[in-house]
Amino acid sequence: MFTAGKGVRLLAVLAVATTVLAACSNDGDDGGGSAANSGPRELKLWHYEGPTSAMGVAWAEAIKEFQSSHPNVTVKFEEQSFEQIQKTAPMVLNSDDAPDLMEYNKGNATAGLLSKQGLLTDMTEEVTKRGWDRLLSENLQTTCKYDQRGIMGGDKWFGVPNYAEYIMVFYNKDMFAQQGLSVPTSFDQLVSAMDKFRQAGVTPLSVSGSEYAAHQILYQLALTKADRGWVDRYQRYTGKVDFHDSVWTYAANTFVEWVQKGYIDKQSTSITAEDMGTAFISGKFPMMISGSWWFGRLQKEITGFKWGSFLWPAQMSAASGGNIWVIPQGSKNKDLAYDFINITMQKQNQNLLGNNGGVPVAADPGAVTDAQSKELIENFNTLAGRDGLAFYPDWPAPGYYDVLVAATQKLINGSASPDQVLDEIAKPYEENLANLGG
Amino acid sequence: MTLPAQTAPAPTGPAPRPAGRRAGGPRPARRAGYLPYLVPGALIFIAVIAIPLAVNIGISFTRWDGVGTPDWVGIAQYRRLFADETFWRSSRNNLALILAMAVIPAFLGLLLAGALFDVVAKRVGQRPANALRAAFYLPQVLPAAVAGIVWLWILHPDYGAANALLRFVGLDSFTQNWLGDESTALLSVMGVLVWIQIGYPVVIFMAGLQRVDPELYESAELDGASWWQKLWRITVPQIRPEIYVVMLTCTVAALKTFDKIYVLTRGGPGGATNVPAYFSWQNFFERSNVSYGAAIATVLTVIIVGLAVLFLRAQSKGEG
Repeated sequence: MFTAGKGVRLLAVLAVATTVLAACSNDGDDGGGSAANSGPRELKLWHYEGPTSAMGVAWAEAIKEFQSSHPNVTVKFEEQSFEQIQKTAPMVLNSDDAPDLMEYNKGNATAGLLSKQGLLTDMTEEVTKRGWDRLLSENLQTTCKYDQRGIMGGDKWFGVPNYAEYIMVFYNKDMFAQQGLSVPTSFDQLVSAMDKFRQAGVTPLSVSGSEYAAHQILYQLALTKADRGWVDRYQRYTGKVDFHDSVWTYAANTFVEWVQKGYIDKQSTSITAEDMGTAFISGKFPMMISGSWWFGRLQKEITGFKWGSFLWPAQMSAASGGNIWVIPQGSKNKDLAYDFINITMQKQNQNLLGNNGGVPVAADPGAVTDAQSKELIENFNTLAGRDGLAFYPDWPAPGYYDVLVAATQKLINGSASPDQVLDEIAKPYEENLANLGG
Repeated sequence: MTLPAQTAPAPTGPAPRPAGRRAGGPRPARRAGYLPYLVPGALIFIAVIAIPLAVNIGISFTRWDGVGTPDWVGIAQYRRLFADETFWRSSRNNLALILAMAVIPAFLGLLLAGALFDVVAKRVGQRPANALRAAFYLPQVLPAAVAGIVWLWILHPDYGAANALLRFVGLDSFTQNWLGDESTALLSVMGVLVWIQIGYPVVIFMAGLQRVDPELYESAELDGASWWQKLWRITVPQIRPEIYVVMLTCTVAALKTFDKIYVLTRGGPGGATNVPAYFSWQNFFERSNVSYGAAIATVLTVIIVGLAVLFLRAQSKGEG
């Protein structure tokens, strides 16, 4: 059937053909080049916000506005999925298919990594020229600026967000009223509200353990004991992180306690984020600790009960500027890209974003009319005002998300002790740190 | 490479009898005769297998995050890999998947094929047997993503059909967080895989059974052999080539498992259902740890090729 002689010949054929293929794989340089300013031009734009989300609505309007102020330019918008961009960005940006402007994930492991690799345009000059630095508070600027190791909070601007996001507590007002509970303003009040629900046989929190929500709660618990220095050490490597310090230990132990007391259902290990949201929307749970990205959806889909949101009862909460506009280094239309970003930073576009359930960074406070949206934006301003933006737990290392999901699943299932879990999350963190240093 | 136009392509398989031509014609020309026919396949093979494989092996000896210049680090990635508890755990999980995708389906498939061929077809009729065979095969036709989502519903701890059924019959205490509990997740995934896989051996084995000389069964029956004895003494030895094929293809498929894990559990909870293919993908795309992902993929390839060679050897020995 398969003799050695044939094999050798086949190998020879393959070897010859390999060189032929390799020879024709390198196809010339980027022909065409950029058109002159007056001729027809094209701005290739990528983002991954759904068309009905706050950002989707505001940016669609920005495209229209851009077209009317730049009649010779066609905006070629290509909708991408979050996963697509996240998984393929480095490779795409290294090729000729890169867009001129795109939305990208902020943080060390994403935008930071790309900036370090020289794939993103340093925008510093334009940012100061156009005054975007004056629109964005210090807190929000952290995720725009990266140093040469790709660590946020650096000196050069590589991106600009036109919205912000933060983790809060969404709550079902009807269920709170049934138990005679008022909105918790302290951590103790939150715990006693959850106790009340437990006594009534209701699981207080809608949680997803197979995706981000559970480990974000773990981080929120840490934040109740943390200060800015702790957050900076963890997120920006400004000092040594001890995963067995009092903050992490408290967070892991309290998380386990919350599972044991039934605030968090053991079954949540297999619940997806989507399941968590729909369960809250259907009125099964009185509370959901999650991010402002849910806001627009809750506004549209909750019809059976009254709901609201309150700030996580601590000085800080997981929060940051939103995903950022970045300009790939290879873009030949950087001037157009800057013009487009500028439109999204203007009051008009910001107000539109705010009125559609987003958290604008430079809106006119009086122009946002919807009550729930107002609450959302005011809470954010309160949080930002007290220097409370603590970023997200999975940012410090590439792929840390999976590590945290797996670790919190073990906490929920009780298959590892809090100490073991903390060891488990310490290891990849320290490996990454060693890589950065090396 | 010019060839005499009249040269016929050499037939494959056992040496043919030269028809209408003197034996021992121009041998080199005859040998070269089939080469043009190999070119399209060879080109595709080079483009989608040989080059990526070579590049992958190359990358695995570097430290690289997907862009920029890879740094040559020798076997450092492999050293790290063999000391990586996640890799070993995922490999153990993969053994369980081989059980669920190759061993159990082959065994059950043998019983089912025997029962369909021997009992259902003969006593109830050929049509019901065909219908049942098609039913067993149906999960094979479904895309893994679709089957996975349906099973996610069935196994959902809250509104899933599996728990609802248990509650309905009063077995509340047996309800499980099927895919979310580390003690049941792997078993649940294995169960789904058996369901997906079972149709394949059934169809192959039933085709094989058509080939078996009925006289063998008749004489065995005259000698008073039981159904079980006939299965083990006649069926299994007679359809051994089919069993090899099923075991080989299913084992390779089990080692490559990615889609089902991606849809069902994403390797969770806490890594309880992670497998090397998924682990490699995580490193490639989620952790920007391309060279480590490449090292895992290379090890996986070596194991699969090694197993395939062993199987093929065993098979040709069995045939010889």
